Amino acid sequence: MIEKGKISAMQMALMMYPAIIATAILLVPAITAHHAGQDMWLSPIWASFSGFLAVYITLRLHHYYPQKTAIEYSEQIAGKFFGKIIGFVFLFFYLHADGIVVREYGEFIVGNFLMRTPPIFVMGTMVFICALAVRGGVEVIGRLAEMIVPVVTLVILIFVILLIPDMDATNMLPIMEKGIIPSIKGAVTPQSWFSEFFLMAFFLPYLANGENGKKWGIISVLAVFLTLFIINITVLFVLGGITANFVYPVMSAVRYISIADFLEHLEAFVMAVWVGGTFLKITVFYYVVALGTAQWLNLPDYRMLVFPLGFLLLVFSEWIAPSLMELSHLLATTVPFYLSSIQIVLPLILLLIAKFRNRNRMKDGQK
Amino acid sequence: MSGLTKFKKMIICFLICSNCLLLSGCWDRVELNDLALVTGLGIDKKGKNTMLTVQLVVPKQLGGGMAMGGSNTKGGGATIIRTGTGAVMADAIRDLQEKIPRRLFWGHVKAVVFSEKVAKEGIRPYIDFLSRNPQMRLRSNMFICKGSAKNVLELSPPIEQSSAEVMRELSELQFLFRVTVKDALQMLAGSTQTAAIPLVQILPAQKGMSDLQTIAFIQRTAIFKKDRMIGSVNDKMSRGLLWIRNEVEQANITVSLKGAKGTITAAIIKMHTKLIPEYKNGKWKMIVKITSEDDVISNATNLSLYNKKHIHLAQKALADETANRIYAALHKVQKMKADVVGFGEAFHRKYPRQWNQVKDRWEDIFPNVEVTIKAKVNFRRPGMNTIPQGIPPEEVKK
Repeated sequence: MIEKGKISAMQMALMMYPAIIATAILLVPAITAHHAGQDMWLSPIWASFSGFLAVYITLRLHHYYPQKTAIEYSEQIAGKFFGKIIGFVFLFFYLHADGIVVREYGEFIVGNFLMRTPPIFVMGTMVFICALAVRGGVEVIGRLAEMIVPVVTLVILIFVILLIPDMDATNMLPIMEKGIIPSIKGAVTPQSWFSEFFLMAFFLPYLANGENGKKWGIISVLAVFLTLFIINITVLFVLGGITANFVYPVMSAVRYISIADFLEHLEAFVMAVWVGGTFLKITVFYYVVALGTAQWLNLPDYRMLVFPLGFLLLVFSEWIAPSLMELSHLLATTVPFYLSSIQIVLPLILLLIAKFRNRNRMKDGQK
Repeated sequence: MSGLTKFKKMIICFLICSNCLLLSGCWDRVELNDLALVTGLGIDKKGKNTMLTVQLVVPKQLGGGMAMGGSNTKGGGATIIRTGTGAVMADAIRDLQEKIPRRLFWGHVKAVVFSEKVAKEGIRPYIDFLSRNPQMRLRSNMFICKGSAKNVLELSPPIEQSSAEVMRELSELQFLFRVTVKDALQMLAGSTQTAAIPLVQILPAQKGMSDLQTIAFIQRTAIFKKDRMIGSVNDKMSRGLLWIRNEVEQANITVSLKGAKGTITAAIIKMHTKLIPEYKNGKWKMIVKITSEDDVISNATNLSLYNKKHIHLAQKALADETANRIYAALHKVQKMKADVVGFGEAFHRKYPRQWNQVKDRWEDIFPNVEVTIKAKVNFRRPGMNTIPQGIPPEEVKK
């Protein structure tokens, strides 16, 4: 095994949480609001099904191949040649997806705070720090998650509480004015974020207490669902009908906080904490790519791949889209299907083949 | 071998130290003393051009300055005014920046003032600029002013630091409308596309003070349809509208009772308004249900308010008076065909299907909505007095 570290199931859950949330609170609420309007708070409910499905598929696959990551067992399931192709698809996908994440991070920082700083510098420094964390291995990432995630969650909660005076619950009425369809349309983009729970396939083999993997996987999905639900409802209550008009509705809402004329201008604080969450998200994806590539190439170690992959990551992030408008359009149209086809449909096919093979094997065994 | 590790260590040390050089910041490094903090923003029309007035904070020097007296009487000296002109707002800002040695910083804009002329021509281009700029805050309060916005920002108020701060404080008191940029955006994008924004006017200066040593106060409410101002209502009417919008924070109501001399005044502690829309056989009806809790703050009649009968009488009179004020205000906006009281939204919420059929001609339906106001007033406390003071006890009706 390349990775010799072990993490606990809880650490894995804590790693998954920011891996979904960090970017799901940037551009996604505006996309959801655009489709769902005042029903945007319903969308996370539909979207979370995707998360449960991803966790279920991942756990079943893990059940068949307990010691192996997705790259390794796809070879066993689909055969050497097709397995390598599937492995490559996974790796390319995660590199590309991580590129999107890095780009979203860069766009957000540059668009809101460091307007004159070249984005490549903002993204480059972030990727460099993530590279160091990835080189540290899975244990380091797990502990970082334990450190950062509680703070992130707390800050999200605090800003929701501070916004209570500015909330207007009538913004959610009339509920389901045009039926259930708009809220489901609004769920299309967030559901693809939930499908990222397939990332667990790369961490389950390294659990010290594997039997808890299922429990913590589900807790993590629930936590993400609750967070998105609360955030969407907060944004809706504060901004109402104009939510979709803002590029970053959560940011606009946080900037609106003003308690007693002195507790205001809090966005820098929220920002600082949020950067921590994004750092974890990029690191988790990055680690999966680095580890997976080493396994795909049968290398003894993944560490020498980290910096070259980081460079590729930066290049990808530049290639993703020429402008923020295009990036947002990409996330609203192509990405939902792209993400869920690779993280849900492809694993589902693998699972079906694995089931078939194992049944045959069992039959052979009985003979 | 050990030499190499030492060399390596030195390199690492050097790299770590050189990192510190980067910590001083990147391209966006701005020192506070390179910034000009804008507290108020005024938008005027000058011919076809836009004239922008900014109120800037002058960083006060410790000691000195103020002690000079004499020259400072014309104003507090805490803020200065600069104007810029251009075809559009962005042009005007560029023009403005040419005259200011520091970079304009918009993060602390407290008040955005539009002149009446601008408001009548449409505020959309400006309001888009305000919400698009990442430094600007949706929290800034919005005002319309009679005359030029420059004159309003120029004032140097005797109490607060700047006239922008005065206006913000006044609107936070919520005697009349309080509208932030976010609220205005919401109202203009809402189902009825109407907005109500406070209208300020300059208070004549006290005798013996210079003309600039005064403030602008909120006196009326400007009514907007789409993004254009179509008229205004006075303070009494505005409060009537606030009642329907469930936004009354402070209000006094005075009534005289039948069969008694003098008046009773009550102050509102808490109020709640509920809009109950009804749609029957193509007729739009609205029931406005208002309940309020009041304290008696003045009783110039000879009725003791420890008598249940008198209390009921007074409560009834207050409720009627409230309803009358609201009716008057409502008639006014119904005549203007501007639904700033949120009837449209209430109908939209309860009857989405019917609403969607008429939403394009709501303008014509709104004036004909039948409104019933059901007001209820409950006294909570009589203040510090039991029976009316200042008259002999035998004249008090117990």
